[in-house]
Amino acid sequence: MKVYTESFELVIPISYESTEVIETGKWGFQKPETAFMTAPCEEACPAGNPIATFIYLIGEGKFGKALEAVLKENPFPGVCGRVCFHPCESGCNRNQYDETVSINVLERYVFDATVDQSPKLHPALNSDPKRIAVVGAGPAGLSCAYFLALLGHKVTVFEARQEPGGVLRWGIPEYRLPKSVLKKEIGRILGLGIEMKTGVVVGKQFPIESLNQFDAVFLSPGAGVSLPLGVGGEGLTRVWRGTDFLNRINLGEKIRAGGKIIVIGGGNTAMDVARSARRLGSAVTIAYRRTKKEMPAVTDEVEEAEQEGVRFEVLVQPVEIRLLKNRKIRIKFQRMKLRKTSREERARPIPIKGSFVILEADRLITAVGEGVDLSWIPQDLREKGFIKSVHSLETKGRRIYAGGDAIDQQRSVVTAICSGKRAAISIDLSFRGQDPEEVFTKIRAGSKEGLSMEAYLKGRERGIWEEPKGVVVYDQLNTLFFKPSERVRTGRIDAGKTLKGFSEVHTGLSSEGARLSALRCFSCGTCNYCYNCYFFCPEGIVSFDPVDQTRKVDLDHCKGCGTCSRACPRHVIEMRLIS
Amino acid sequence: MREFMTGNHAVAHAVRLCRTPLIAAYPITPQTPIYEKLSEWEASGVIKGIMMRTESEHSAMASCIAASLTGVRTFTATSSQGLALMHEMLHFAAGCRVPVVMANVNRLLSAPWGFWADQLDSLSQRDTGWIQLYCENGQEALDSVIQAYKVAEQVYLPVMISLEAFFVSHFMEPMEIPDQEAVDGFLPPMNLPHRFDMEKPGFLVPVVPSELYRKYRHMAQTAMDSVKEVAVRVDQEFKEGFGRSYGIVESVMMEDAEIIIVTAGSITSTARVAVRALREQGHRSGLLKIRYFRPFPREAVQQALRGKKKIAVIDRNNSIGGGGIFCQELRAAMVHSSDHPLIYSYVAGIGGTDVTPEVIQKIALDAIHRTGPVDESIWIME
Repeated sequence: MKVYTESFELVIPISYESTEVIETGKWGFQKPETAFMTAPCEEACPAGNPIATFIYLIGEGKFGKALEAVLKENPFPGVCGRVCFHPCESGCNRNQYDETVSINVLERYVFDATVDQSPKLHPALNSDPKRIAVVGAGPAGLSCAYFLALLGHKVTVFEARQEPGGVLRWGIPEYRLPKSVLKKEIGRILGLGIEMKTGVVVGKQFPIESLNQFDAVFLSPGAGVSLPLGVGGEGLTRVWRGTDFLNRINLGEKIRAGGKIIVIGGGNTAMDVARSARRLGSAVTIAYRRTKKEMPAVTDEVEEAEQEGVRFEVLVQPVEIRLLKNRKIRIKFQRMKLRKTSREERARPIPIKGSFVILEADRLITAVGEGVDLSWIPQDLREKGFIKSVHSLETKGRRIYAGGDAIDQQRSVVTAICSGKRAAISIDLSFRGQDPEEVFTKIRAGSKEGLSMEAYLKGRERGIWEEPKGVVVYDQLNTLFFKPSERVRTGRIDAGKTLKGFSEVHTGLSSEGARLSALRCFSCGTCNYCYNCYFFCPEGIVSFDPVDQTRKVDLDHCKGCGTCSRACPRHVIEMRLIS
Repeated sequence: MREFMTGNHAVAHAVRLCRTPLIAAYPITPQTPIYEKLSEWEASGVIKGIMMRTESEHSAMASCIAASLTGVRTFTATSSQGLALMHEMLHFAAGCRVPVVMANVNRLLSAPWGFWADQLDSLSQRDTGWIQLYCENGQEALDSVIQAYKVAEQVYLPVMISLEAFFVSHFMEPMEIPDQEAVDGFLPPMNLPHRFDMEKPGFLVPVVPSELYRKYRHMAQTAMDSVKEVAVRVDQEFKEGFGRSYGIVESVMMEDAEIIIVTAGSITSTARVAVRALREQGHRSGLLKIRYFRPFPREAVQQALRGKKKIAVIDRNNSIGGGGIFCQELRAAMVHSSDHPLIYSYVAGIGGTDVTPEVIQKIALDAIHRTGPVDESIWIME
């Protein structure tokens, strides 16, 4: 370094040389490390959605890239963005600051904003592709097929109905999930070269033994059989089963449901039945044996049913159904009360002796749960009304796996996707002779159920899986850089039009709403190029390229002060001691 | 143009007349009227520059240094605690050889808290490498700012102009405001020989080896030494342009004086009255006003006091453990004098207490009656 000391220039102590030759980085005892972490929303998502990443991309207006990011982990952003019970939002760190980020409707926006696009999906190279049969084209089966295809395998899907989709197609009504959305997403999945055999009932047209010709089988027949009430009069023609009712609506049948309908049940099917019946012009009452608080249905669904004029009769259980002379039916309900025991999670309804309620209606629709048709399933694969599988989703059958609503697990679309993904990875690992449980511990998004396909693929390529990333907790964020803002909510069609037909009730986000909503995301553990480390670095040695999404630190000149780590609002940078 | 105004506003007028394009400051009593006046003028367009309202005096000085290095004239004003906060940057300004001009309204330093006149704030900064001068009244403050730019821009050292709280800053007096044209003629646009250049990026204050550091300090010392000559020349030029001059020191009725009162700042004008009164009472007294404190005008002081027997230095400041600061410096300047005068140190007016003509007469009489030397400062407690 040269300091000028002669002539005019000597007066002011100035240097025109660079100090770069001085390796100040050697002074430090710690270095910043970009520690991309898992956000709590990502941990909470059973599908392992890369939420922070896709929300960042929405905020940047890169919707195509956002879609690509989601599709790495979840083949159904359009479906999940509409019908998911969004456990991610309960996990959101922003809950502890003001209100959760609208993750669910942002996922929907990824689909809505790219509805005209068809991103190219890139299956991994696989030198030894296997043939796998998937039985049942619901969310679990289609997800399993999708991920197996992404892993380079050849998949054949057997579907008993004339169209794929399962509960998404035949259960969920159009006003919650338009058929066009489902069609688009299934089309994208099948575009991977998956063979789809519809109208083929395994166990009838296709003997179950014939599945032996495949290297592995995934059973995902779903739970489509309405459970009986177990009450006298259930067989009357005035009594319908909820799944049949929804199925007929989804087939496009014109149904005369009746002027006054009673729906029995408190789950999502009951809500779907009740709200569909409202759209057919009926007055609807839901009868449930516990209170609204204990209903297994998603809270939003219960609230919306109520907003649409569905009445609730709670703490009642049917004991008898009779047909009256005027062709109406009379239902006798036992009044119930709740007893909470410390061991049980949910309060138990018990009858109040001698207390009854009588209700009259034109029709009764039951929605007290759905069972699995196990008639074609070998005896040794069954247990307590389900197909029995262990955590890795293997059954007792050789290379036979099972998932979705047919196994004993939480019933939701996202859980089904989760099991489809897990089974795909299990099956792939079985061909490689590796223990799935061991690999799962490395590729989990956090400590819950969701697995990261991206992490799996990365390790699969290298032959070894790295330790999983930690989950960012609220206290690790630097909230000084955030300011309170209101949660952005989905739009809705006019209240007056809600019951006029089966048009989708929620209209999603406007582009501005999506942008504002995306910018509310703390992006926990994921760099969103906020430039804080760049601005706060006293050495000026952080460089950025948001276009290429690279962030570099000149470690030769990093003194390890840790300012960047403290200034990072989202806990992306961790200081590590130099050994 | 003649106007009735305060010393603070006189300073503001001088800054306006010098066409200073960058003012960076933080308000503090009793300097605030300077800040307010310049703000007002910035808003109304009377001054064309930028007024930076910085978050602290430290930042104000940092801004002035940086701006000055781009080649523009800069100004700041502060007082007391603000100046103390600026301390670190004062060294940088002098070390970077920037011709920043600052007005400091002399106010006591805490604790305890107060706002009153006391020169300790600026005298505490005597070793920072700044040129320092002390003004007797508002007119001198106005004229000194204009002179200061001319001196600073020749020697590349910053200048601090001190005017005492309230006695100068707030007292209203009739003052002469020079014409813009005349000031433009006296003070050419600033022309820094080297400065920040986008074409040739450099960085300031690099690490230097010991020898180089020594060299820079020595160069600054040499520049400071040259001020004594430059300041006299500039003062002379000012006289030619505006009819007023102050010198670096001023002698009043010194020829036959047996007792010399030495003052700096506002006490000087009171002392002028006191000296006349003493003479009327038959005491041959004289007055030496010290205007420049840095560089200390050693030769001028030696020359003015040649042959004098008794000197009474009045300090409105006290270095605890050391005594009146002007007296310390004056004694050091006179140490080799063959006349060996008796130099008495009087500390008066501390914390803004009044120093009336009667107090000054008492000090003179006290000195006259003493026969031997007194090492310590004598505190005037009335």
